[in-house]
Amino acid sequence: MKAGFAVLGLSLALAVAGCATVGEPEQEGPAAASTSNLTERPTELTREMLIGRWGIASFREEKDRARVTAQARSFCARQPYVITAGPRNGVMMHAADDAKLYELRLKGGSDGKTYLGFEAPPGDWQDRVILSASNDQWVMRFVDPEIHNRYGTFIYVRCK
Amino acid sequence: MRKPLLLAFLAGLAASTAFAQGRTPPPETMDIGDEPGRVSTPETVIEDGPFARQMVFFRSSEPPNTVVIHTSERFLYVVMGGNRALRYGIGVGREGFQWAGLQKVTRKAEWPDWTPPPEMIQRQPYLPRFMAGGPGNPMGARALYLGSTVYRIHGTNQPETIGQAISSGCFRLANGDVIDLFERVPVGAKVIIRHGPQV
Repeated sequence: MKAGFAVLGLSLALAVAGCATVGEPEQEGPAAASTSNLTERPTELTREMLIGRWGIASFREEKDRARVTAQARSFCARQPYVITAGPRNGVMMHAADDAKLYELRLKGGSDGKTYLGFEAPPGDWQDRVILSASNDQWVMRFVDPEIHNRYGTFIYVRCK
Repeated sequence: MRKPLLLAFLAGLAASTAFAQGRTPPPETMDIGDEPGRVSTPETVIEDGPFARQMVFFRSSEPPNTVVIHTSERFLYVVMGGNRALRYGIGVGREGFQWAGLQKVTRKAEWPDWTPPPEMIQRQPYLPRFMAGGPGNPMGARALYLGSTVYRIHGTNQPETIGQAISSGCFRLANGDVIDLFERVPVGAKVIIRHGPQV
């Protein structure tokens, strides 16, 4: 099992009891050794492209992409996902399966891809890899194949 | 995939835990809610014990293909005629979410989409607001929609919850079992939901 797979007892008790709350922004990245051997390079994406209110939905098969995009947009009015600026030039977002907010940052990888994640080499297992991005929509999936298998590919549609 | 079932189980448990940052594996517990993202293969069936699919004696005047659900027993029966029925183990609504009635199957869907309820999004804000159908979807492999209600007979990515009362009023079967049921029961079939102790 992965070293980073973990839970604090109190947090678990709160989660099971349905008492989960969003905690204070995390200031530090993960302590586990990264699984990536990529080196970091500049990325053209900026955090301003991510900041804002988004409708989010996920899919697994390409045939579902269009209707999932429409579904994501429809949730802007009901339950948008809000990304704000972090204190260290990152953005405040959630990691997989974790209701706490963390500061994540964009990282260009030596493979030419752009990643979003903790202070770790680009392509770390906890990162998201950004598949496409514009001011109005971005598409990502988790690097970890197990997490990706569970959640599929995420579409973020900016709320107007 | 690496230890998929255990990983998925723990991941689903960790609704608001320090998955990303902590280091201690959580204890296993059956006190679980929906687990979006957990993968249960379509082949999963209940093979042992009372909740395994099996032909049973079942006295009924209902025509074949009628579905009879006994909430208190945690069984779903498909009437086969000749005082026989095919019985499936099911998960049912938790206390306060159980109900009785007469419905028809109005629609069937393979790998139905799933929309997490608002209260789940509040607890697990990292979830997508809409998840297209697939193996990680809590609705499972198939769904049979009951009349115009919000209730369904559907699969699950949590087959260990069969026999329990934890849903919001829907009836869940292991994915392999709901696929079998899906093939047997046509749209328009009568569905009788009984709630209460059996005589």
